[in-house]
Amino acid sequence: MLESIQQLLTGFGIAATVVNLLYCLLGAVAGTLVGILPGLGPIAGIALLIPVTFGLNPTSAIIMLCGIYYGAMYGGSTTSILLNVPGETASVITCIDGYQMARKGRAGPALAICAIGSFIAGTLAIFGMVFLAPPLARAALAFGPPEYFSLMICGLIVLSNVTGGSLIKSLMMAVVGLIIGTVGLDPVTGEYRFTFDTTYLLSGIEFVAVAIGLFGIAEILANVDQPLEKLEQRVIVPRFRDLYPSLQDLKASVGAILRGAGIGFGVGLIPGPAPVIATYASYMTEKRISKHPEAFGKGAIEGVAGPESANNAACQSAFIPLFVLGIPFAPPTAILLGALMIHGVAPGPMMITEHPDVFWGVIASMYIGNFILLLLNLPFIPFFASILRIPKKVLLPLVMLFCITGMYTVNNSVNDIWLMLLMGALGYLMRKWAYDAAPLLLALVIGPKMEVAFRQSLMISHGDFGIFINRPVSLVFLLAMAIFLMVPVFRLIFKKMKKGGDLSVRSS
Amino acid sequence: MLKKVIVGIFVTLALLVSIPLQAAEFPTKEVPIIIPWAAGGATDLIFRALAETTGKYLGKAVVVVNRPGGAGAVGYTECMKAQPDGYTLVSAITPLTILPHQVTTAFTYKSFEPVINVVRDPGMFLVRSDAPWKSLKEFLDYAKKNPDMITVGNSGAGGGVHLIALAFEKTAGVKFNNIPFAGGGPSVTALLGGHINAVSVSPPEGIEHVKAGKLKIIALFADKRFELFPDVPTVKEQGIDFVMGQWRGLAAPKGTPPDVIKKLHDAFKQGMDDPAFQKNAKDMVVNLSYLGPEAFGKLMASDDEFYGKLVKEIKK
Amino acid sequence: MKRVEIIEGVIIFLCGGITVALSLQMPIGTFRMAGSGLFPLCLGIALMLLALLYLANLLLQKDAKRQSPKAAAASPGAAGQMLLFLGASALATLCLNILGYPLTSFLLMLSLLAILGVRQPVLLVSLPLLTAAGSYFLFVQFLRIPLPKGLIGL
Repeated sequence: MLESIQQLLTGFGIAATVVNLLYCLLGAVAGTLVGILPGLGPIAGIALLIPVTFGLNPTSAIIMLCGIYYGAMYGGSTTSILLNVPGETASVITCIDGYQMARKGRAGPALAICAIGSFIAGTLAIFGMVFLAPPLARAALAFGPPEYFSLMICGLIVLSNVTGGSLIKSLMMAVVGLIIGTVGLDPVTGEYRFTFDTTYLLSGIEFVAVAIGLFGIAEILANVDQPLEKLEQRVIVPRFRDLYPSLQDLKASVGAILRGAGIGFGVGLIPGPAPVIATYASYMTEKRISKHPEAFGKGAIEGVAGPESANNAACQSAFIPLFVLGIPFAPPTAILLGALMIHGVAPGPMMITEHPDVFWGVIASMYIGNFILLLLNLPFIPFFASILRIPKKVLLPLVMLFCITGMYTVNNSVNDIWLMLLMGALGYLMRKWAYDAAPLLLALVIGPKMEVAFRQSLMISHGDFGIFINRPVSLVFLLAMAIFLMVPVFRLIFKKMKKGGDLSVRSS
Repeated sequence: MLKKVIVGIFVTLALLVSIPLQAAEFPTKEVPIIIPWAAGGATDLIFRALAETTGKYLGKAVVVVNRPGGAGAVGYTECMKAQPDGYTLVSAITPLTILPHQVTTAFTYKSFEPVINVVRDPGMFLVRSDAPWKSLKEFLDYAKKNPDMITVGNSGAGGGVHLIALAFEKTAGVKFNNIPFAGGGPSVTALLGGHINAVSVSPPEGIEHVKAGKLKIIALFADKRFELFPDVPTVKEQGIDFVMGQWRGLAAPKGTPPDVIKKLHDAFKQGMDDPAFQKNAKDMVVNLSYLGPEAFGKLMASDDEFYGKLVKEIKK
Repeated sequence: MKRVEIIEGVIIFLCGGITVALSLQMPIGTFRMAGSGLFPLCLGIALMLLALLYLANLLLQKDAKRQSPKAAAASPGAAGQMLLFLGASALATLCLNILGYPLTSFLLMLSLLAILGVRQPVLLVSLPLLTAAGSYFLFVQFLRIPLPKGLIGL
């Protein structure tokens, strides 16, 4: 333990050189710019800017790339809060309460809490990483295909009702999301599914198009769908003292941030789209344990603090499998793996012993990166918040253009824009009929992985479904899911029993 | 009225100025290499390393673009459709000659012009160091007595290493339970976690863990032993005549002019000979095996025929 | 109002049905060796079951304790406005590869502002010009992110 601390301090020494700090800053700025544009997320940002790092030594290069990563995550939250446009996949949940806060003139506190929460959660996660990395990596290995499947289906069902409302409707949306996720190539056999002979659908339905469409475009359309006089108005004119969080805000958020950090850190160890899942899980948790759950969905600050913290913590802990096992669990870490290898550093069990300066330098730089982002973004909050002063009739066309541009940059494909617009129309209808988009998106993200895990498990067990129940970890998740589903049924039966079992009794 | 004319002239001038000038010499901008697999895999790592060293010989940067999906179909289709002007390359690896025989694809190896082959690596099976089988013989004996029981992971159904496993099954007369994963990384992870018994890979996948002593090579489908692991015998030495691997090279869309191909080829060859890349390759335990455009083309053709037959046999 | 919800339920039921029909055209295989169609088939069936459950729930509830739609009801003029807005965006998407990004974004901004009631000519022209030029230079020249080139080469 002591050795770890000593090495961490050495790492700080390396990372905190003026040169490296500058690289981190540069990365953070570039990342934020990239993240703000809807569609371009950290993956694109890192990939675009890797060539820039070629001339640098490994530590500096990785430090810069980490800066880009965090910057992009933070930039994504900014558009979620201000415009209800998810900057990238993990910002979807932030839209829910963050945007509502912005509409009430509280964009400033929302943005600030994002920065503060991310910083705190990131710091905690880094300490967790330093001291718990090896045992955690071993724990992550204990997850085989059956465990992943059970975890994902449990997560999907439990989290589908994240914004409340009718459980059946949420489940229906989740299944629709799963079905959309099957379009493209069968991940196991490689055969075409629902592609109707087009090459566009070959790679599946682009998640970003669906996310921006269902949230951003639908919001734009819902706003346009108002008489002209209303469009003269601004979204809101924030008052100066509302630009930064009040003491009350901070007090309310502390718990959410700490819980979010814990949840995110744990969830981040799972391969795949962990940050997204972490945000959903945190939101759900905050809502369940809150003393005023009805405030969620209308601008509860915990609904922003928790998920954003979880997001950042998950991003941090996603590095653990990368550094300890040498195996990237998610696309951003995969690209970092590539970058590391190019610079001659092979992540894996040997990395800590063979290249301790890189390892600890990177860890320290993560901390610094978090700090720089906080410093960078807090002063800009009034500027960001004042974007909402623009009258709607000017703001809405700008946002539409913004979404179209951003969408194009993801795959250089005009077809994606069509998909986004189509999803926007669908999202508009869904709003009118009170169907929630969040479960659909979660299912779209989880679906393909869930299917692969399911089929792998059955291949290993030769078709025996018992494999899901015979293994303890898997069984736990399945039981949790079953209990969750049974609760409303029991409640219904209980209610009927109390009223004497008569279906025609009305509650006034 | 005059004001409008002036504004109009300014606007037109501004627009005209932005029209890019067409330069004569290739290359005038970066050259992307499309990699039809996710980042972090073997192909990705090798070509990222090569891209870095080739940039200075070519005069412009070489960048890697990942286009995963469809066991490679998405990336290859994209390159096939691209302009044959030298500004789109694709990493041509053995699955290019396998995939068209398994599913209907828009492309075959003939849709591309070979540029250069970079590496040729043997396939191998890895197991955990604490596995009950100490040698290939024990492994195969167990497999013979328990058909379809040993789970062998691979990087994707119908991919290169999967087919190597299937071909080995035929030669050795055993049957494994092949489990597909979404790439070399996840399959090695599953092995480390003990969820599967063995994994079919090719370097540099899993090499780090062999170096660390966590995994061991139980079967090596090469002609000669690894320099870095001289104690690991090849399958051939142990009586089974089976050598199979994957090649990885670069190709351009059909119709790319020969002088452009020559320029690219020369630059990449220099990139391959660059000491930094040589060192990288050594660390990754990959086997450099240069082939020029013609020889590479012949290799693709012969492998295409070979895999065509193999796939038909296996499908029976 | 309940009729709308019944229609919603039926639509979802039909979606499930279509999924089932399309999945049956693909190889199903067994659970041991799943074919491509197995998973979508199960999903389609699940969707149909959920839709039935939803409809049953609706019919059993004698009192109309249903969720009210969140969005405000559209006034007739505004719905047309929304369709125009969407239509202009769609048209712009069509034009992207023909006219190129800078020109299309200029025209799009112009039409969207006009649809939403901006009438002052200075604002109507200068804002689109600024955004088109600004975004072009920011993304294409500075950040080197490619945007659609039209036939005029921009």
